[in-house]
Amino acid sequence: MNIPITEIALSLWVVCAVLIVFTKKMYRIIITFGVFSLIGALSYLFLGSPDVAMAEAAVSAFVTIFFIVCIERYYKFGMGLEDEQAEEKVKFSAKSVGRILAPTGFCVGLFWLAMQHLPMDDAVTVLRDQYLARFMYDVGGMNAVASIVLGYRVYDTLFEALLLVVSVVAVAHVSWYDKAEMIDRRHSEIKNSGVARFTMRVVCPIIIIFGAYIIANGHLTAGGGFQGGLAIATFFICRYLVYDINDLPIAKVMRMEKLVFVNITILPVLAVFTGVTYFATYILPLTSDVYLVAMNILIGFKVACGFFVLFYRFVAIERW
Amino acid sequence: MRLDIFTMVMFFVSFFGLITSRTIIKSIVFILIMQTSVVMFWLIVGNMHGSLPPIDVYNIDAENISDPLPQALMLSAIVIGISVITVSITMFNNLFRKYETASWDHMEKVYSNEGEGEQ
Repeated sequence: MNIPITEIALSLWVVCAVLIVFTKKMYRIIITFGVFSLIGALSYLFLGSPDVAMAEAAVSAFVTIFFIVCIERYYKFGMGLEDEQAEEKVKFSAKSVGRILAPTGFCVGLFWLAMQHLPMDDAVTVLRDQYLARFMYDVGGMNAVASIVLGYRVYDTLFEALLLVVSVVAVAHVSWYDKAEMIDRRHSEIKNSGVARFTMRVVCPIIIIFGAYIIANGHLTAGGGFQGGLAIATFFICRYLVYDINDLPIAKVMRMEKLVFVNITILPVLAVFTGVTYFATYILPLTSDVYLVAMNILIGFKVACGFFVLFYRFVAIERW
Repeated sequence: MRLDIFTMVMFFVSFFGLITSRTIIKSIVFILIMQTSVVMFWLIVGNMHGSLPPIDVYNIDAENISDPLPQALMLSAIVIGISVITVSITMFNNLFRKYETASWDHMEKVYSNEGEGEQ
């Protein structure tokens, strides 16, 4: 018997989104969103894309933390409850009915239009066959996705990395307390708990080794710089629970991230112009793998630095 | 069964949520859900021939491998999505500190009152 597991996962996925539409309480929305992201990552895995699944799982963990930090203060001011009550007490009138019916009609109409133009089953796959037949000789590595990201489509990766740098800088400069000190005011005294300290001592090396493994083997198996960098950045969440945060060199880390970004732009340009990736593969088969591993390590380092800054910014400054 | 119908439904459910939600955080959540549905759509389109991951492709039948190009592009899309979301959460924090509300309607009211006061 063939279990239609992808269909089941996608149905649950749609159910989660519909639940979020009709939920009023903020904490419930965020928890349902976490479940939604988990089911989405599972569906990516069933659809044969483990790289995207890992990225989605790691990203949704960070986004959930950011949302919870955001909502915590929202409830502390007492504004959240008022807003929720106002939303629940919508009066039944022509205006409120129109406010529901007009968007529904709009969305259903657009859905009908979109259904007329769905792609056919035999979507053109010339590029797929080309890439699958040649990526090992052109770029190297065993993972086609990593080869495309770092070889054929390396300029996309450069701009993606640039966007992450811009987002970190924007979060640091749009923020309310621009030059505020890091304040460590945790609710519970988890810092003094022996169980927490022991657990972190056991778990942290495993997280670091996992991240390093993902980065170093990104060109052979599923994974890569971005996913491994996120896994290493989760180490800092564990560190936040146990150690002090006042001695952290945030500004230095931001500067280091920009320097690594410059390296990320320089390395592929040099590799493309000198032909390391595209021509030397025939002469020296190992050079292209060296290029892939170096790019993965640089990207992983940059992503870990970026999410380090984002996490501490949100937890220590945005939260208060 | 056509799987891409799920993503179409999802896109318009999140669009509905985006234009009917009254709190800013909920709108940000729906932007993220909309992006996830687009990512899922492209993965499903690349998956129409087979659902094996494109890793170590010389040991498996090439007919059953999913398309690696949409996956590579969607990795970039996910990174860009989280960048947009972090910046929007920061902007929401600023607005919340200034107006002390998270409701679109209430914030608009306070903002228009402020403008009249200045004139």
